[in-house]
Amino acid sequence: MKKNNILLIVTDRKMLTKIPKKLEESTITFLFPLKDFTVGFPEIFTLKEIPEDGFIFVNRILDNAGIDLFKSTIKNIPPNIKGIVFDDLGIINVLNETKTNLTKILFLNHFNCNYASINIYLNYVDSVVISPDITESEIDEILNHASKPLVLYTFGHLNIMYSRRTLLTNYNKYFNKEVPMLSTLEEDLSHHKFKIMENVYGTVIYTEKPFNGLRYLTKPNVLYNLINPIFLSIDEITQIINNKTDLNAIYPYQYLSTTQTIYKLKEKDL
Amino acid sequence: MIELLAPAGSIERLKIAYLYGADAAYVGGYNYSLRANAINFSLEELKEGVKFAHALGKKLYVTVNIIFHNAELSNLKTYLEDLSSIGIDAIIVSDIVVIECVRKYNIPLEIHISTQSSTLNYETALFYKKLGVKRIVLAREASREDIKIIKAKTNLDIECFISGAMCTSISGKCVLSNVTTNRDSNRGGCAQICRWTFKINDEENKFSMTPKDLNMSRFLEDMVNIGINSFKVEGRMRSIYYIATIIYEYRHLLDKIINHTIKESDILYSNDIINRCANRESTPQFYDKFPTEKEQYFLGREEVSNQDFLGVVLAYQNGQILLEERNYFKVGDVVEFFGPNLEPLTYEIKTILNEEGDSIPVARHPQMHIYLPFDKSLPSNTMMRLKIFDKNDYL
Repeated sequence: MKKNNILLIVTDRKMLTKIPKKLEESTITFLFPLKDFTVGFPEIFTLKEIPEDGFIFVNRILDNAGIDLFKSTIKNIPPNIKGIVFDDLGIINVLNETKTNLTKILFLNHFNCNYASINIYLNYVDSVVISPDITESEIDEILNHASKPLVLYTFGHLNIMYSRRTLLTNYNKYFNKEVPMLSTLEEDLSHHKFKIMENVYGTVIYTEKPFNGLRYLTKPNVLYNLINPIFLSIDEITQIINNKTDLNAIYPYQYLSTTQTIYKLKEKDL
Repeated sequence: MIELLAPAGSIERLKIAYLYGADAAYVGGYNYSLRANAINFSLEELKEGVKFAHALGKKLYVTVNIIFHNAELSNLKTYLEDLSSIGIDAIIVSDIVVIECVRKYNIPLEIHISTQSSTLNYETALFYKKLGVKRIVLAREASREDIKIIKAKTNLDIECFISGAMCTSISGKCVLSNVTTNRDSNRGGCAQICRWTFKINDEENKFSMTPKDLNMSRFLEDMVNIGINSFKVEGRMRSIYYIATIIYEYRHLLDKIINHTIKESDILYSNDIINRCANRESTPQFYDKFPTEKEQYFLGREEVSNQDFLGVVLAYQNGQILLEERNYFKVGDVVEFFGPNLEPLTYEIKTILNEEGDSIPVARHPQMHIYLPFDKSLPSNTMMRLKIFDKNDYL
């Protein structure tokens, strides 16, 4: 039986000792949020800390200083690092110049909602993460048309807003408070709740609940199933990657996978 | 090349933008545009807009800047060919599929990368340059140094916002609207959730995450000097009065910068006019420093809407201005006319005549036509506003 390839973001250092890389039904590749190049993660890693076969995650939008720092960082990348997931098109240029053998995966978060765009990017990278903001049927259509295997966001809280502003620091200064850099945000009218996290490079707002797309594990033309276990315990992560019990009751949240979004107000009346 | 670039959500606003000094304007068609709920333009209206623009030696750009889903791909080529055939000067895009479509089918359209693509470094700009892109609209998070370096290392046309509302998020990096209201922010349906009211943890304070508006009037000369080519005003959903006022002020400032006649008093005066019209506080945001709590509203907007916009001149005949009223005014009010190629003119209202020629003490019905005796001809589309600021006070 074909094993699932899971790309698992390392959100807790204990995962490295507690989560086996080979499971009965899955092979795990660890994805490490890289120091100086990520927003929205509680744990970050230097290149030296990344073990054999690890991938690095660069999800910042880089300014000029950031892209220059990335250039000098990538020159010294150890050979044990096998891949990179990134969200800044400038990195494509840098990786081409350095002629690295890294597996290159583009994750533009809210972009890449159609197969044509994805196939264009596949001329530059090895794979693309399909936007998690679209429906399952749209994902299926993309997988059917993709010229290479793609990456599917399969489980986890979703980054639904990334601001360059330090929103929590600003809040603390304005109200003279000390709310932590990981807090809960509640919209006052609809009572939607979110998680909000800040570091020096900006602020990320996450969905309150993790998206459960474990059914995506069986889809064809998938290079990796991406799991972001941020805010989950080691036990919960273990249960999810083993995927042996029915987790739908525990994690029912379907994010935008079952409902088509609208964008013209008159559509609401139809 | 230095270009003042105006927004327009309808053909009426588009014409006002050009008449008040925009070198170019950007609009959305019925499809594929990020302001899906603006009035927007049919192909016929786009044709009319192009004709109007080109007759004045100006340009018209069309936003094709949604993030495409599969279902939207089918008519894209035809739409782009239509835009090209009617003479659109450039398209503003964020999804790479649009660039590829233009390239693959050799559609003669200049491509500008939308701010939605959040370009903040020179390597990203160079990536787009290799694809044939002519201009980049930089992310609004770009600092002065970022802009300068990107210009120097790419020699692309650089477009920067100088005025208007800001996203809390990096543009294109937010789907709060999708999650909260099911309205797709990256296809033009943004419900501006960041301007709603929130609470953190168990704190009692309610707050919003709304940034104050962008206002670059103080740094405009510096922006010219570091090589920015296009100075963009935000606001495709804004009124004719807003567009006329903002474009008028920035036109004057840019002309004085180009002519080396700009004075501090010009900037201070324009700033007050712009801020009053926008009805919000404004700051330079990321250009000169990293924004702090001072660049945000926490408790919503504290300003009250004003009714400064009193009317539009429709014609001048028999020593009288024919005016279409927009807000209440009365005999005794001191007002100001400003318009295309017209310095602000102060006027005290002594007589108001209705359409029957009867003298009336107040004009209280928006859209009503009234006559004001005036000793000088004023062109149509001149605006009348309550006089709040006097240029002499700034000298």
